[in-house]
Amino acid sequence: MPRTLLVIDDDRDIRLVAQTSLELVGGFHVIVADSGHRGLAFANEVRPDAILLDLMMPDLDGRKTLDELKRMPKTASIPVIMLTAKVQAHQLDLMCHGAAGVLVKPFDPMQLPNQVCEILGWGPSKNDEEQSDRAAE
Amino acid sequence: MQPSSITLVVRSLCHRCCGKENDSSAGKSLSQPLHYQYVGVQRMQPRDARVIIMLMIGRIRLWMIAASMVSLAALGAVSWLSYRSTRELIAANQRLAQAHKLTEDLAGLHVLLDEAEASCRDYALSGRTESLNPYEAALAQLDMSVQALRHDLAANPNRFQQLQELEPVIQARLEVMRELVLARTAGGFDGAVRMLQSDRGKRLTDEMRQRIAVMQTDEHNDLLERERESRERARSTILAVGVTCLLGIALLLAALLVIFRLNRQSENDHVALQNAEQIQRAILNSAAYSMISTDTSGLILTVNAAAEKWLQYRSAELTGSSISKLHDASELHSRGVQLTRALGRPVAGDYHALVPKAGEGTADQFECTYVRRDGTRFPVSLSVTALRTGGSNLSGYLVIATDLSEKHAIEKMKDEFVSVVSHELRTPLTSIKGALGLLVGGITGPLPPKAAEMAQVALNNSDRLSRLVDDILDLQRIESGRLTMDKRPNDVAALMRESAESLRLVADSEDVTIALSPCEAWITADRERIVQAFVNLLGNAIKFSPRGGRIEFAAEPAGRNVLFRIEDNGRGIPRDKLETIFERFQQVDASDAREKGGTGLGLAIVRSIVQQHDGRAWVDSELGKGSKFYVQLPLPETDSTAAERR
Repeated sequence: MPRTLLVIDDDRDIRLVAQTSLELVGGFHVIVADSGHRGLAFANEVRPDAILLDLMMPDLDGRKTLDELKRMPKTASIPVIMLTAKVQAHQLDLMCHGAAGVLVKPFDPMQLPNQVCEILGWGPSKNDEEQSDRAAE
Repeated sequence: MQPSSITLVVRSLCHRCCGKENDSSAGKSLSQPLHYQYVGVQRMQPRDARVIIMLMIGRIRLWMIAASMVSLAALGAVSWLSYRSTRELIAANQRLAQAHKLTEDLAGLHVLLDEAEASCRDYALSGRTESLNPYEAALAQLDMSVQALRHDLAANPNRFQQLQELEPVIQARLEVMRELVLARTAGGFDGAVRMLQSDRGKRLTDEMRQRIAVMQTDEHNDLLERERESRERARSTILAVGVTCLLGIALLLAALLVIFRLNRQSENDHVALQNAEQIQRAILNSAAYSMISTDTSGLILTVNAAAEKWLQYRSAELTGSSISKLHDASELHSRGVQLTRALGRPVAGDYHALVPKAGEGTADQFECTYVRRDGTRFPVSLSVTALRTGGSNLSGYLVIATDLSEKHAIEKMKDEFVSVVSHELRTPLTSIKGALGLLVGGITGPLPPKAAEMAQVALNNSDRLSRLVDDILDLQRIESGRLTMDKRPNDVAALMRESAESLRLVADSEDVTIALSPCEAWITADRERIVQAFVNLLGNAIKFSPRGGRIEFAAEPAGRNVLFRIEDNGRGIPRDKLETIFERFQQVDASDAREKGGTGLGLAIVRSIVQQHDGRAWVDSELGKGSKFYVQLPLPETDSTAAERR
């Protein structure tokens, strides 16, 4: 079974590009949410292996969504990667405290799956051995 | 007008308006009639009130002193001339009296001798002894007369000599008289006749008379000469006294004229000064700056209208209070600690933290927080200037504040704007780049060759657009000072390796070698930003190096700095572009942006980052031979270098 990733971003085009990249290049199973509220619901329901979360969104922004994810017992252990426009590294540290890592927009769709795996320590994507290891877990 | 260009001088002219010196503790509002005179937009300093008054007083004093000295000298000369003339007149009168007395004494002597001679003749003819009484009386007085003459003529050598020559003749004549008396007594009438017939007495009498007459004539001539000299001296004395008096009067009139003119000029200057003061007071009270003057112990003396309005205090409420009342206490404490470290001597965390640099004569401008009466706070930029009496003795401080509330609000808006622009530009770029990347990568299926080429062109230009957005935002942040530099100790060699490594793949693809020559040193720098600067420089060097080229990336200590050098053997830069190339959107060739994929902002970002690290960046180049880009960054300050700097 491929790993499941939840992409939460209010921009439809970015969701589409990220989903396409992660599915076709990385071989992940990807579900998408267009807001923080919907993302929280999906995460609670699906319990994905990792979440890519946009920082700037209307209503419930990435910072608050992350706090909410870490507060809920069912989602607290899910690693979260923040997606954001380029800002200074030490500011990111402050903004994304509790996140597994940060990916800066614009990202390279051909490199995105590998960057996700690198952050999460999953090894190369589409790796059969890794997938079998995951199945064994 | 910059706040730092304003100088406020207090206690300068108080005596003119109120006739007494000001009490420094009695501050007043600038809106009230002031005894303090504000004199001091710096460009007006040559007409500074103190200077003008001092000059006027100095000139008047100089003239008065000069006139007094000349008058005194004239008076002294007149007095001396009068004294000398008086003494000479007295001496002349004394000599005149002596001459008269000598003439009388000689006449008296002559009379005595005549009486003695007549007495002897009478005795010789009559034989009566009582006839000799006048003779004996004359003899008794004769010695006294000769003694008196000798005494009187002691100071007159000529007369004395004549007297000495006369005395033997007198004695001889007296001897003849005695012989006549003896001849009459012993030889009777006949003996006396024989004696008289000898004619000796007559000759002696004639000689004696002649000598006395000569003496009298000489003395008379002397007397006339002295009278003439005395008259001449009296005349010259009168002339000298008259001339001196006239000269003194002339000088006195000249001095009075000069003093009158200076006074009139002083009055004109006074009026001009009052006008200037009114203008300056109006400027101070209408200035958009808070201006507060204090004494040397930080006690407030005066505040202007802006300070009253901003701080919500009335002038009287602030007067006499410490200026630290208007500041955030913890901020003053922190600044005290910071200055203690920087200056190497203890600086208390009260008003002392505001003034030490100004007190040392250094212009001091810094940002801090003012606290209003109601406790609310607002940011200000403070400029502190030392006030000095007579240009040397510290008399207090002038604290000028600019309200930074609006500036900070604008900066916050700019930050928000940059943040929004950053997000709004990058969001569509992410989609474009992502979609094109997937197309070019063949993830969505194979593209016809021409379509693949066009997709690659679109992807390349979306990359370029993305870099341009990044560079513009970076540059804006760096130059506005809003990009916080996270400065930490960094190993020079590690920074160089990281920079070179991030471009290793690009360099390999261009067949360019990067040779590292680091030095052993640490600098305090924002690693990410310094690496960004080096990557920009190395990236340029790679772009403009020929295939098979070599780039030397070296570092070496240079005094209190580390000097980095990035040297390539590319096409070089024309001399007229060595400086402009560091400006925004400046490239050696306009086609570089297209062909090399540059944004024209890379070197501007390099210089901004380096300047944010108190360093500098420049380039040497020779067309056709290559370029040497230099970056100089300061070494951390050690205790010894800090002490040396201090």
